[in-house]
Amino acid sequence: MSTYGNLLAILWPESILEIASLAILVVDLGFMRRASSAARMSVASTLGSFGALTALLWLLMHAGSMTVMGGALVTNASVVAAQVGILILTALVLLLGVSARFTRNPGEYVALVLLATTGMLLVAASRDLLIIFVALELLSLSLYVLSAFSKHSAASSEAALKYYLFGGMSAAFMLFGFSYLYGITGTTRLTAIAASLASASLTPITLVALVLVAVGLGFKVAAVPFHIWAPDTYLGAPTPVAALIASGSKVASFAVLIAVTAALAPAWGWTETLLWMAGTSIVLGNLAALVQSSVRRILAYSAIAHAGYMLLGIAAHTLASDQAVLLYALTYALTTVGAFAVVAIVERDAGSDRLDAFAGLSARSPLLAATLMVFLLSLAGIPPLVGFWVKFQMFASVLRSPLAASWGIGMVILAIAGSAVSLYYYLQVLKRAWVAPAAVSSRLAIQPRELLLLLLIAITVILLGIFPGWLLQWIPMVG
Amino acid sequence: MTSPMIPVSSSDAASMAWIVRNLWLIPILPMVASGLIALLPQPRRKPAATLAIGALLISFLLAVTAFAHVLMNWSSGGPTREMVSFDWLTFGSATLQMGWVLDPLAAIMLVMVTFVGSLIFIYSTGYMSHDENFTRFFCFLALFAGGMLGVLIANSLLLLFMCWEIVGLTSYLLIGFWYHKPSAAAAAKKAFLTTRVGDIFFLLGMVWLFAQTGTLLFYNHGAGAIEPTALATLLGHHAAWGLSAAGAIGLLIFAGAAGKSGQLPLHVWLPDAMEGPTPVSALIHAATMVAAGVYLVARVYPLMSAGAGPGTTTASLTVVAWVGAATALFGALVAVAQFDIKRILAYSTVSQLGYMMVGLATGGVAVGIFHLITHAFFKALLFLGAGSVIHGCHEEQDIRRMGGLRAQMPITFAAYTVGMLALSGFPIFFSGFWSKDAIVGAAHHWPVSQGPFWMLLLGALLTAFYMMRQVGYVFLGSWRGHGHAHESPAVMTIPLLVLAFFAIALGVLGTPAWPWFTAFLDGHSLVFDLAGFREPGLVPMMLLASTLVFVALGVGWRLYVAQANRADTDPDVLQRVSPRVFGWLESRLYFDELYQATILRAYALLAAFAAWLDRQFWGGIVASISSGFRALGRCNRSMDSQWIDGGFDKGCEELTTAGGVLAWLQAGRAPSYLRTLTIGLLILLAVILMAASITGQVKL
Repeated sequence: MSTYGNLLAILWPESILEIASLAILVVDLGFMRRASSAARMSVASTLGSFGALTALLWLLMHAGSMTVMGGALVTNASVVAAQVGILILTALVLLLGVSARFTRNPGEYVALVLLATTGMLLVAASRDLLIIFVALELLSLSLYVLSAFSKHSAASSEAALKYYLFGGMSAAFMLFGFSYLYGITGTTRLTAIAASLASASLTPITLVALVLVAVGLGFKVAAVPFHIWAPDTYLGAPTPVAALIASGSKVASFAVLIAVTAALAPAWGWTETLLWMAGTSIVLGNLAALVQSSVRRILAYSAIAHAGYMLLGIAAHTLASDQAVLLYALTYALTTVGAFAVVAIVERDAGSDRLDAFAGLSARSPLLAATLMVFLLSLAGIPPLVGFWVKFQMFASVLRSPLAASWGIGMVILAIAGSAVSLYYYLQVLKRAWVAPAAVSSRLAIQPRELLLLLLIAITVILLGIFPGWLLQWIPMVG
Repeated sequence: MTSPMIPVSSSDAASMAWIVRNLWLIPILPMVASGLIALLPQPRRKPAATLAIGALLISFLLAVTAFAHVLMNWSSGGPTREMVSFDWLTFGSATLQMGWVLDPLAAIMLVMVTFVGSLIFIYSTGYMSHDENFTRFFCFLALFAGGMLGVLIANSLLLLFMCWEIVGLTSYLLIGFWYHKPSAAAAAKKAFLTTRVGDIFFLLGMVWLFAQTGTLLFYNHGAGAIEPTALATLLGHHAAWGLSAAGAIGLLIFAGAAGKSGQLPLHVWLPDAMEGPTPVSALIHAATMVAAGVYLVARVYPLMSAGAGPGTTTASLTVVAWVGAATALFGALVAVAQFDIKRILAYSTVSQLGYMMVGLATGGVAVGIFHLITHAFFKALLFLGAGSVIHGCHEEQDIRRMGGLRAQMPITFAAYTVGMLALSGFPIFFSGFWSKDAIVGAAHHWPVSQGPFWMLLLGALLTAFYMMRQVGYVFLGSWRGHGHAHESPAVMTIPLLVLAFFAIALGVLGTPAWPWFTAFLDGHSLVFDLAGFREPGLVPMMLLASTLVFVALGVGWRLYVAQANRADTDPDVLQRVSPRVFGWLESRLYFDELYQATILRAYALLAAFAAWLDRQFWGGIVASISSGFRALGRCNRSMDSQWIDGGFDKGCEELTTAGGVLAWLQAGRAPSYLRTLTIGLLILLAVILMAASITGQVKL
């Protein structure tokens, strides 16, 4: 097959998403102008998730290893795993967002979600600095626009502007770092960079390049000190968008971070940078979450802490730890999507995401409160939920890595202490939901479809915790 | 290292002195300070000034260390030129290298720039104390110092060019510092664009040099671009009009230097640059940046002089000499008829830069650079003195509305007089005499023509005259201004006194009996020998120059002190003699008008033509296409109106929302977010670099 043939073959899922997004625009703007907003939203979302699932199906049927453009884009088992996860997450976000009422342009919203997803798929598959940058920008720009999509909410515009300003500046720093890397190694291919850095002696400029690259990727995964945008954006963005930022975007960013680490770890300093970011994220994320009264902000700060745990696994940089990070990112994203969906439902009812809005949730809708409990306990890492298992798996892999000889043990102890602290703020939410009396006694309005999806996610979280072998079978060792 | 007998300066880092390995710290410190100041909120004046002055003082100490290092090598007969270079960028088979060099030329300039710079920084805390953008000022000033010091230590034409551009940028920013004044904004733009003309030629020369030699390093153990091997190649390659490649590249680089150093015909920006705050005029547009062009010519001197034998010179040096001489005379002529205290000094700077160029072209590096150094001190002194006068006279700059300030501002008067006598070349006691005399003497021995020599002599006569005129107007006679003048605070007068001391004392370094400066720069040994004065023609030359100075001072005294004006509306003495000639000079020989009438008009015509082309020709094509589409559009109108429905309303709503958000952002929170990002980045960088150096991964 020709080069372009290969390129097309590897990019089929992305192409499917692009076609789906165009089709949605045509359907929504061409045929549905007169339909009600709710109908348009459900048609667009259904079409969008259908597109995502088609791409998913294609991926599953054509799984294999391939490399095109001299190694700039690859597909292999771990890339496919990340992409499958991203597509599932996108479909979930779209389906859970069907009843969201933040926009009068559902077609454009869903099309942009699919474009962002395209960016995520590309990010996960790219192994070249330029492609990584372009893919990250495609992802980021779509997310900036999506964050601003609730056009009548000042909070949404504020969130988007902050996200955009912060993201633009980090992207500039990262591009600067990339240019240094290119200057140092003379190549943009990750594999060639790894070889070049392994043979070259370390100079201060290399360290500068590493730290600059860390800015851009640290921004994407919301690691301290590049995390400040996260609480505001999580708070202000429309809920489905916040869920997308917290889930699919994270998975893609961690997937590329694993690949970048493979290239940069030969240079002294990259691991150290990651460890510093990990340590500060764990401490700051968990402590700041303690004092929040908005559940979205709690989720944001806990996301920062989780990014810290995952950075720890990435810094360890062994096959087992890379696999563990990918598992962690996927299951964490799944759980977060669920948690955000519950927040959205409560918010729709109470008009606020403050802790008090959750009071008496168990009386008003026992099933919803139960799923919330599953999600939050999984995030806190309580067995037998999947959150426990992936955390255990990751810390164990860090302790088995060479890192254990120097920083590893201390960092793992810090991370475990952090998880213990995190239980407090997760339980703060659950206490409101299960113990506190309800301010309103009416039943919560939930659509059956939403409840069904949430139950599905919750059951998955429980089952994967009990039978982790399923996940392991599905995601082979990263190679 | 084949033979241990030959002293070699090695690039092997371990065997090199600490100061040579870490010479980059000198420019980096002010740059880092500038970055930190940029992160400071506006009201934090004290930290900003402390950071800038502190960084420059440390740079000064390092520069002194570097100077001492070179001095020790020189006195022990060792190699006086050491460099560090590294690969910066590899593309294909070619490699761009960068690096820094420490030799007598760089060392002496480093000390001068950091010393004068420190004094001016300190002076600025007084001069700018009432300005609300105090922190921004010091941010730019520190960035300038970093760029200038980078120019000085660069061992690569590319690195030099980069720092050169930083310096040009900060010059633009500082000239336009009071950008709310339209004249300042225009002056900044003019400076930037005019120097850009020179820089384009400079860039061309640089690319050509790289194409010919494959390297942009100056010195690289025999493989550098201005070392004999490369020069031989360049001389062998003929460019157009009988020039060798060396000559053509030299001329292109000189064009860059002429832009920066205000040589004819690119001098027009320098007098306008006086719109900036006075410390900026002193530091950038008198002492250091404008000297960067002279320094550049000195740096690439081997290239300029390649092919010259005894008694002959090269095409590029001939051009340098004539341009320099013309500039020297032109500047002095125009300075005679100006009324703005800073403008007089600005034209005097243009003129003195011309002297330096002639000195380089006819006498070699040491002659030109000696005048550069002495000029830096006494011109900084004069500018700061002018600043003190302006400050004391409540921002008055017109010398007709001053007078008799001797009584109110005694310290400024004393210091200013020293500067004025040094600039005039008053014999024996002032540094300007020795350095200018060396240039005039060198021009006299120039084999090509005596023209520059006579032009310089006439220039010297005029210099003493216009300085006497200025001092007469400002300090002597009777007060013609409004209000009451007062002496400036100590933070401003003490730097004046320090500079005045050096304006006198530096002369001892360059007397014919003890030509320390020449010996140091050329790297040969030095003895004290009064026989230096016995060189044929030297003493008559000195007598001639001294006589001219005395005559000029005497005439000036007679015209401007003995018959001083009584009121600020009285015409100048010369104006009464010949209004027409005085008018020409006052209008700066109509250079600006000439450019306005030729280049700018041609440009406007071109723009008008482009606009016409755009509107009539391309516009016609676009219009025909668009009418086709309009027809298409009409068919779809019904659909369109359906689609666009409500779009306008929504747009308005969104604008309102966005406005609210922007207002919120202006409250300062988003900038502080970005500041946090940058500070986070810097802390992370510092931690990693520190960890790397502690664990011995890299040597900092």
